[in-house]
Amino acid sequence: MDINESFAKAEQILAPWTGVATHPAPDRMDVVIPAKSLVEAVTALVEAKWGYLSAITGLDHPGSTEPASEALRWQRLTEEIEAPSDEESREGTLEALYHFCEGAAILTLRVRVRYTSSALPTICNIQPAATLYEREIMELFGVTIVGTPNSERLLLSDDWPEGVYPLRKSFTSLKELDVVKGKETK
Amino acid sequence: MNEQVNAPKKFIVPIGPQHPALKEPGHFEFTVDGEIVTGASVRLGYVHRGIEKGCEQRSWIQDIYLLERICGICSHSHATAFVLGVEKLAKVTVPPRAQAIRTLFLELERIHSHFLWLGVAAHEGGFDTLFMYSWRDRETVMDILENLSGNRVNYSANVLGGVKYDVDEKQADEIRKGIDFLEERAHYYLNVVTTDETFLGRTRHIGLMSLEQAVTLDAIGPTARASGLARDVRVDAPYAAYVDFPVKLVTDDRCDLVGRFVVRINELFESYRLIREILDHLPAGDLTTKCPRRIPEGETISRVEAPRGELFYFLKSNGSDKPERVKVRTPSLCNWASVINLAVGHNLADIPMILAGIDPCFSCNDRSVTIRNPGGSQVWSWEELRRYGIEHYK
Repeated sequence: MDINESFAKAEQILAPWTGVATHPAPDRMDVVIPAKSLVEAVTALVEAKWGYLSAITGLDHPGSTEPASEALRWQRLTEEIEAPSDEESREGTLEALYHFCEGAAILTLRVRVRYTSSALPTICNIQPAATLYEREIMELFGVTIVGTPNSERLLLSDDWPEGVYPLRKSFTSLKELDVVKGKETK
Repeated sequence: MNEQVNAPKKFIVPIGPQHPALKEPGHFEFTVDGEIVTGASVRLGYVHRGIEKGCEQRSWIQDIYLLERICGICSHSHATAFVLGVEKLAKVTVPPRAQAIRTLFLELERIHSHFLWLGVAAHEGGFDTLFMYSWRDRETVMDILENLSGNRVNYSANVLGGVKYDVDEKQADEIRKGIDFLEERAHYYLNVVTTDETFLGRTRHIGLMSLEQAVTLDAIGPTARASGLARDVRVDAPYAAYVDFPVKLVTDDRCDLVGRFVVRINELFESYRLIREILDHLPAGDLTTKCPRRIPEGETISRVEAPRGELFYFLKSNGSDKPERVKVRTPSLCNWASVINLAVGHNLADIPMILAGIDPCFSCNDRSVTIRNPGGSQVWSWEELRRYGIEHYK
């Protein structure tokens, strides 16, 4: 199938949830969707047999004084929540990118959650192959995937401390973590 | 108390993870009812080295070498996926000769990987002669790679903006000679895996995965193509020089282990054809072009068909000389799901072959196997499970 045809079809499928759809490259389409619509959107894609889930990428956007991104603003808007306060944008967010591929076309569903409410629904009921990807993002980024069939450790060692997520930008090394902890206890 | 007595006895056979010789250990737990597997789960990460995090702390150039070491078998695929992505971000056009040489390496790598797999899979089934033969033949392609780059596995052929190594006429002739020999051998192996009765006894109708299952389980690479699923990045989204040297898609509709052997061997023929074509029509010109050290801000996705299937890279740059994020999704990760599901309903004796069938960056030989049961535990090594499998089919 032609790339443009694929994207036209995807746009149609995702129309109910699409607010911002961009084409960062000719072979890519990024769609920002609110977390609560994730399952519905994925279900629609799978039922329409649009491509396959290729990967789930996690991104950490540590809190900073910089203004909240467009995507985040939009998501807040659709969730009928007020625009992020300064405190919230300082807190930082995690982003999960669900990449679907059909032929040469790559469709990415982008979902954002806050550090303190980092829950995302599982998509394993619709797309069973997602289980390993979900376990990966849970471990490495600390996104909570609600309802995922297996939430055991997949990659990190058994003695890895709880609540330490190595792919977050704030993580530098376990050694430094110990130093910080040691200081805290003193 | 009664409940305990009446409760169905559940045996869990853990396989893995320790192995001193092979890389990439994984741990599987198979639940068995007598001989039959009723459930399976996987635990990976014993060689989790934090490469994605490591990439964020190194420069774009250093990352090529780091990423190449994710896997010793498809090292060039990793480096290629990465450099193609970075070049997209930097908007650099690589000279056609460099792209062709990258593709040449990719196909040579596929040959070496498929021969390696053929040997390992044969060994798991107890066909050690086939294992020795295919590994002997694999040396031919290893020599070619060493001749081209000086290295047997991590060739370091890629740089940002091109390749390091050129191919001259003398080397091209040596490659052609090697390929001729390997082609003859591949014909022989194709004949063996499709006609030898003892071999078919271990592979025919084993590990069946229908096309529908392959779609649901998100199978990729030769594992998917052996179930008739036409999915190959080289064809779907040609990269490097695959636009100029198109690949013919190889599929098979046997859906079982035989199919997985046939698909991989037929892919060898396609690789031979491509390599000859590339050598005959190698574009003239430069090997490299200038690529900036600081990569412009942006995100990109790069996909490469590694020997085991689609390799997925997501790159994000913040405009500095170090990446903001490098996400790697290796093909084996996709195919674990198929093993976990395919194992159910099979004899425990079939497990070694089914595992080998997806060509997981293979690491399961000779692991410790413990059979846990209420009356104590019995310890098996992977070698014993393999022997058990062979005895079972005698």
